[in-house]
Amino acid sequence: MIYNLYIFDKYGTLMYYSEWNRLKQSGITKDEEAKLMYGMLFSLKSFVNKISPIDPKEGFLFYKTNKYALHYVEVSSGLKFVLNTDTTATGIKDFLLQLYSKIWVEYVVRNPLWTIGTPVTSDLFKTKLDEFVRASPLFGPKII
Amino acid sequence: MAEEAIFEYLHSEIVSYTLNKEGDKENDLSALEYIGYTTGYRIIERLTREWPRFKDELDTMKFICTDFWSSIYRKQIDNLRTNHQGVYVLQDNAFRFLTRLSTGSQYLEHAPKFVAFTCGLVRGSLANLGITSVVTAEVQTMPSCKFHIQVNRG
Repeated sequence: MIYNLYIFDKYGTLMYYSEWNRLKQSGITKDEEAKLMYGMLFSLKSFVNKISPIDPKEGFLFYKTNKYALHYVEVSSGLKFVLNTDTTATGIKDFLLQLYSKIWVEYVVRNPLWTIGTPVTSDLFKTKLDEFVRASPLFGPKII
Repeated sequence: MAEEAIFEYLHSEIVSYTLNKEGDKENDLSALEYIGYTTGYRIIERLTREWPRFKDELDTMKFICTDFWSSIYRKQIDNLRTNHQGVYVLQDNAFRFLTRLSTGSQYLEHAPKFVAFTCGLVRGSLANLGITSVVTAEVQTMPSCKFHIQVNRG
């Protein structure tokens, strides 16, 4: 099951946020939440790389609690995709890379009205992203 | 599709550059239209070299809708209409410069900026084929666009 998605750029600006099956809210504003999230990712990334006893290669990939898993994918341009799912979901990295090339590149990068470095406001992107996420087998409620 | 992307990005930069440069003259699309005109004029020279001379005006319009459009936008015009009095309406249901913008009315106010170049392109091409015209565009719901061609017969 997919809960929510954050997209950050390389400077930590929240480019886009969307949620689907989120049952518990953080109780702080979305702005604060995004800053908190980015701060944690930044720290986790540097922690993982520092503490790694061998070459960390890709570094931080995901973490899991007993209730949810947070998946992290960073592309070469520094764009970061953060997806929260239930703990059984697999193949998230591929899913996020597909989302990047089929939705982000197509409907944000190729939209002449998007200004580089600003949050995405295009309805078309929103629609396409929502369709893409809902069409994924990962989306559905967990079958127990 | 690298070469398509580069044409798209260059076009969108030309749009924002020419419009920002004008400063106080808001929404002056004439510079864009003129760039389109000269581009169209030049394109025709090479594109028609394999073609026999066109029979008449309608024949020329058909060429614009099919081969000309395909070579630039990788698709043909979806609908061509005329009143046989020198007015032609070319409808593209998924006009390239609009497909990434919206599929509804969001950003509709920006649409004219992204069709001005193409209006010029069509006018320039027709000019080099011996047809003087005025080309305007109409966008009601993106990404669909209608190009109105009014031929000047004088």
